[in-house]
Amino acid sequence: MTHANLPQQPTFAEIAPRLETPAMKARVADLIRRYPSPQAALLQVLWLAQHELQWLPQAAIEWSAHQCKTSPVHAYGVATFYTMYQKAPVGKFLLQICQNVTCHALGSENLIAHAEKTLGIPADGAHVSADGLFTLLRVECLGACGNGPVMQVNDDFATDVVDGVVTMPKSISLTTERFDKIVAWCRANKEKGLVRDPLGGTLAGDLGHPGAEGASAQKQNSDYAPPPPALAVKAIAGTGVALTWKAAPEITELRIEHSSTESGPWAPLATCSPKDKEFAHATGIAGDCYRIVAVSGARVAKPSQIAKAGV
Amino acid sequence: MADTSPKVCTVNFGKGAQDISVYKSLGGYSNVGKRLFDLSQFELIDLVTRSGLRGRGGAGFPTGMKWSFVPRGGKPVYLVVNADEGEPGTFKDHFLMLEDPHRLIEGMLICGWALGVRTAYIYVRGEFLSAVESLNKAISQAYAAGLLGANIGGSGYSLDIYVHRGAGAYICGEETALINSLEGCKGQPRLKPPFPAVSGAWSSPTCVNNVETIMALPWILENGPEAYAAIGVGRSNGTKVFSVSGDVKRPGVYECALGLPIMEMLESEQFCQGVIGDLKGVIPGGSSTPVLTTAEASDAKLDYESLAAKGTMLGSGAIIAFNSSRNVVTMLQSLTRFYAHESCGQCTPCREGTGFANRVMKTVVAGKGRDTDLQLLLDLCEGFTPTTICPLAAADAGPIESFTKKFRADFEAAIARNPERAEERLHPNFRPGAFW
Repeated sequence: MTHANLPQQPTFAEIAPRLETPAMKARVADLIRRYPSPQAALLQVLWLAQHELQWLPQAAIEWSAHQCKTSPVHAYGVATFYTMYQKAPVGKFLLQICQNVTCHALGSENLIAHAEKTLGIPADGAHVSADGLFTLLRVECLGACGNGPVMQVNDDFATDVVDGVVTMPKSISLTTERFDKIVAWCRANKEKGLVRDPLGGTLAGDLGHPGAEGASAQKQNSDYAPPPPALAVKAIAGTGVALTWKAAPEITELRIEHSSTESGPWAPLATCSPKDKEFAHATGIAGDCYRIVAVSGARVAKPSQIAKAGV
Repeated sequence: MADTSPKVCTVNFGKGAQDISVYKSLGGYSNVGKRLFDLSQFELIDLVTRSGLRGRGGAGFPTGMKWSFVPRGGKPVYLVVNADEGEPGTFKDHFLMLEDPHRLIEGMLICGWALGVRTAYIYVRGEFLSAVESLNKAISQAYAAGLLGANIGGSGYSLDIYVHRGAGAYICGEETALINSLEGCKGQPRLKPPFPAVSGAWSSPTCVNNVETIMALPWILENGPEAYAAIGVGRSNGTKVFSVSGDVKRPGVYECALGLPIMEMLESEQFCQGVIGDLKGVIPGGSSTPVLTTAEASDAKLDYESLAAKGTMLGSGAIIAFNSSRNVVTMLQSLTRFYAHESCGQCTPCREGTGFANRVMKTVVAGKGRDTDLQLLLDLCEGFTPTTICPLAAADAGPIESFTKKFRADFEAAIARNPERAEERLHPNFRPGAFW
């Protein structure tokens, strides 16, 4: 956006009744509690503001910055960086036709030409049709190439109208006939519009980010998981039994247990430090069974695999 | 030969698994209990390493190794799922999230357990509002079922998941740009190192994984890493979800074992059921990957190593097939325009270079090309590729170099329309590359 085409800007007093509502306040608070810093909610708050006003006047960008405790210039930079924030008023139906490689190869240029002719406006996103209903915009890949060429009307993928609903059925691409059908649907539904919640609804049951304003979440308990068991335990019988293993990180102590059968009962044999990698059982014989229980502070790992002493 | 590999990510497609009761009846969340809670973090990371799972977003970095870089015991660890699917040709994550959002949540629980994550975010591109809705609904159901929130299943582990809606910037698919965008800033990539695994979102250790990578985890936990590693070829283990578009009879999202011949994907009854017209070329992994001619595609296989041997990449698995009726010159211009539009403006060589390349391509398309233009484009690519923070400029060079080399006759024919084509566009001293 350049200064030459800055649209007429409403004052904050003019837009405040739409933004300063209890519902909006609750919504913003719910967003801010999700992140460790309020600034992170900025993109989401801008979405809410744009949804209320159908575009983002400068006063709304400043209001969003204030909500997220960041500077207006930062919010202005963000709002102008992302292409989906409308910095000038658009029609009630924003028709976005993809011009990227798949859609281009499959004929999106013809569609754009057809759309421009039908609606009498260029596909530059800066013009609103005389009836105030349509803005036409060329966009880059919309992420639905399997249906190419494709179009979005506001936030809905639209390649056809089925049972009175604008939709994108599997493998149905946009054609000039279907484009006309969608435009006719928009005209017939101009009162209702095609509007969805800009953040896909709210959540229920979430706790927020630990430490964020209004959040009830607690920090992660650092020892929720058991410590890792000793790995690759081997017992070789010779003179006595030589036990070797691979110790995992986090371990503070290794308890070696012994049994004459694989099914137990297990008797404690020795305690090793995590630095040890082997243990010699002087009285062990071939056929004896061993297992290692790793301990990390108060947490006890499940016993290692059983190693049967072989020759 | 039909592909008989199991469906790891797409098994619930068309079964109504968006609802938690259906997802559970199909075996979902069955391992979020003793099976998961008895595993130590170390074992779980080791399990993922042994499965050979590699990042499905494009780079193919081993997932277990990425996780092992995350330090524990200090700052909070964040998991950010990259659902900013913007690579032209790619649309798999879109359908994965629409069809099976609970599998993503289950995968995030597994990854969260392994890394000690308390708060996780799913960064969804702005255009996918329906996917955001689907995820929010699924997350709310998971909270109600006690699968998210505090002390999940009495394990002492807590996790909250939030969806963060982007607002239309391709570059936010790059992990450090995504983190900036998550923090409420412009999506401009950061210099690496430090890598996000050490210092990412809010300077904390951050694991950024693609949707498809995370969605493979429930299957790996259920069936064991050896079963997953047994699928695929060589170092390309497991299955991959491909988005196929362009001139094929049945474009769409298909999952198969890595190593499938590309022509089988395009022609078999199981997948795309054939090419419309005579195949002229195939872009194998999204718009940034160098194009393959029909001859090269005839024996190419869909796995990381064999595509690398052909000078291209598996990328995000976005296959774009086009036939001889398509104009490769305007196709390339649609790509150069895309990269010029999506350059974030941070590094001068990319900001200026991608725009310059696009202006050259525009004049070629308009019939005003010069004989020196193809060399000029290559000089530009050489200039901007190694000089930027992120790989966006290199992603522009991939199609420019491959299209102009492999379909040279088409470009020369486009230039031949200009009667003044012999004139140089630029004085040699002003050519890009003259300064370095």
